[in-house]
Amino acid sequence: MRRAAAVSAAMAAPAGVAAQSATPAASTAAPESSTTEAEPLTGGRAGSDFMVDTIKALGFEYICANPGSSFRGLHESVINYGGNEKPELLTCMHEESAVAMAHGYFKIEGKPLAVMAHGTVGLQHASMALYNAWCDRVPVYLLLGNTLDATMRAPGVEWVHSVQDAAAMVRDYTKWDDTPMSLPHFAESAVRAYKIAMTPPYGPVVIVADSELQEHPIADHHGALRVPQLSLAAPPQADSGAVAEAARLLVAADSPLLIADRLARTPAGLARLIELAELLQAAVISTQPNSLPPIAAGRMNFPNRHPLNQTLRSVAAIADADLIAGLEIANIYGATHIFRDQLERTSRPATKAGVKLITITAGDLSVKANYQDFQRYVEADLSMAADGEATLPALIEAVRRLITPERRRAFDARGAKLADASRLVLERARTDAAYAWDASPISTARFAAEVWQQIRSEDWSLVNGNLSGWPLRLWNFDKHHQYIGVSGGSGIGYGMPASVGAALANRKHGRLSVNIQNDGDMMYAPGVLWTAAHHKIPILTVVHNNRSYHEETMHLQRMGNRRNRGVDRAHIGNEIDNPAIDYAKLAQAMGWYAEGPIANPNDLGPALARAIAAVKRGQPALVDVVTQPR
Amino acid sequence: MMKTLLVIVMCAAALSGIALSSPILTAQSQPQTAPAGNVEKGRLGFVRVGCAQCHGREAQGSPTSGPRLGPNGLPYPAFARYVREPRLQMPPYTGKILPDADLADLYAFVQSRPKAATPPALQ
Repeated sequence: MRRAAAVSAAMAAPAGVAAQSATPAASTAAPESSTTEAEPLTGGRAGSDFMVDTIKALGFEYICANPGSSFRGLHESVINYGGNEKPELLTCMHEESAVAMAHGYFKIEGKPLAVMAHGTVGLQHASMALYNAWCDRVPVYLLLGNTLDATMRAPGVEWVHSVQDAAAMVRDYTKWDDTPMSLPHFAESAVRAYKIAMTPPYGPVVIVADSELQEHPIADHHGALRVPQLSLAAPPQADSGAVAEAARLLVAADSPLLIADRLARTPAGLARLIELAELLQAAVISTQPNSLPPIAAGRMNFPNRHPLNQTLRSVAAIADADLIAGLEIANIYGATHIFRDQLERTSRPATKAGVKLITITAGDLSVKANYQDFQRYVEADLSMAADGEATLPALIEAVRRLITPERRRAFDARGAKLADASRLVLERARTDAAYAWDASPISTARFAAEVWQQIRSEDWSLVNGNLSGWPLRLWNFDKHHQYIGVSGGSGIGYGMPASVGAALANRKHGRLSVNIQNDGDMMYAPGVLWTAAHHKIPILTVVHNNRSYHEETMHLQRMGNRRNRGVDRAHIGNEIDNPAIDYAKLAQAMGWYAEGPIANPNDLGPALARAIAAVKRGQPALVDVVTQPR
Repeated sequence: MMKTLLVIVMCAAALSGIALSSPILTAQSQPQTAPAGNVEKGRLGFVRVGCAQCHGREAQGSPTSGPRLGPNGLPYPAFARYVREPRLQMPPYTGKILPDADLADLYAFVQSRPKAATPPALQ
């Protein structure tokens, strides 16, 4: 229970901030039309001060913003009244970057960041990153400035930047929004928004902070001005009968498979999945970015070198299964079908006949109509609309109660076979990685191996990038913070700012944040490089520079060949070359340590070592690596 | 027949981008009835017609886009059949956009890839 943060409406300065005059430099010139009564030009404590009280009560550490006049009152209150501490304002150079930073931060810290933006142009800039957060089930707490009262708007730009219903344009992919009409209303809605954002399935929320409400002195609310107590909701667990049935099916299955996507919201989720898998000696697929079927890309759910991890032989594991349990997987249809993208697009089951399917996902509790992130309908045998991580303890206990000595022996035999299979694929992966070892441009396998050699003894955290799946094959992932998944909405421009946000969260833990950054993604809003340098956020960024929007190149190849025109021109519109972008110079210009472009694989290791030394001194560092396409 | 089917399934799965146990495209049999091809022409063609985009410039393969094609890849008949009529995601290459002679060069190139020794960093 948190104590209610009762806030006085008195004029006293807040803790940590010296009392100071809020009086701007007053003009000594006579007013245009003099009246007998002097017009008040200064006021005391403003509405936005109370908004900061509310934000502080919710525990935000940082608030990200690209400055905008519609929230100038709130901006001033954050830095002066609030002392620019908890939250500290982070200067961002694009609203999309601000939201993406909040996205990455949450996936490390488990707490949302606040973001301020203009209600119109700022929100339009932020919208793509909000969609990513929505699809990735990440809470982002967005405060929008706006001037609803038309008679109070300054002529010109302020009208262009005002809107009747500010949150309307993102309502399809946010969990909740409100436009409070008073400060008590603001406080209640602000706390409610936090609670909604932090109830699984997590998601972004929007609170419109009207400029009049921000800028006017606090009115007498007869003692009603207080921040309500925050009562976070316990995450929804599945129905006990459904859990019992799921346990029965799992224990009875000959070849159960657990597929986890955004299951492990916290480190406890990882530990519980290990416990369930080991109890059953069941196969697990987890954390496989950029794969087809697009089975799992969400979180660090399961150690990649665990003997039961069958991710690297997922096609075989899916085909072998007689029971599949989808744990917080958004695209269970895609995981269980083979999609063929030829002139006639087709799908066929990837599973054997008679396979049973169980799903547990809080995603079933939050489906909207317009955007199609809910994927194809699946015919599950048992479907639980509940949070996976919160349901695992009950499921584990139910499974434990049903295991007989006979089943235990069968489980152990199954586990031994799975361990052999996973060992073989890991060994084969190391062999595969040796091909094109000395090639230039540098192979993605060599790239991954060189990075691993430099970070393996550190407390590292891969905050973005998958490098064609090689880290999953060559690195050792066994901690929750070592992998945080992908963007969710596949909206390009996520990687660089999200990794900076995640690195911000990792900073206080002393972790080495590693961002494997695609070149095309980086160029959406490279201004976040400056944000990282300005706020001294240490991060190692290694650019996977294949000088193209490579995914689209492959699509163009498909179209060209399908139409019998060939692929000779597939690079047009897709290559990022002529001139090649010098990412090291770009980063250096914004205060980073940077090296590159590096095309000789033998130069890569020493460059990475020098960059990591810079990161350890507290500086962001970048190494630009010219790579093979994939 | 069984071996051919297995090879094609592996190829199809890998070329589709499906997460395989590895990107290796193996074949137990040696090249059969492969036409003469020019390795250097094949090297250039491998990039020009886009093979390298998914399989890498050295045909080394990538876990998320296409399997390794050599050395010891598919027998030529299976290789050619798959290029012309891919089972899954790979774009089809007709004779118009990839004549038989160019296909033979590509095959010669992928077959000429050296076997890799595992470097210390991977041991």
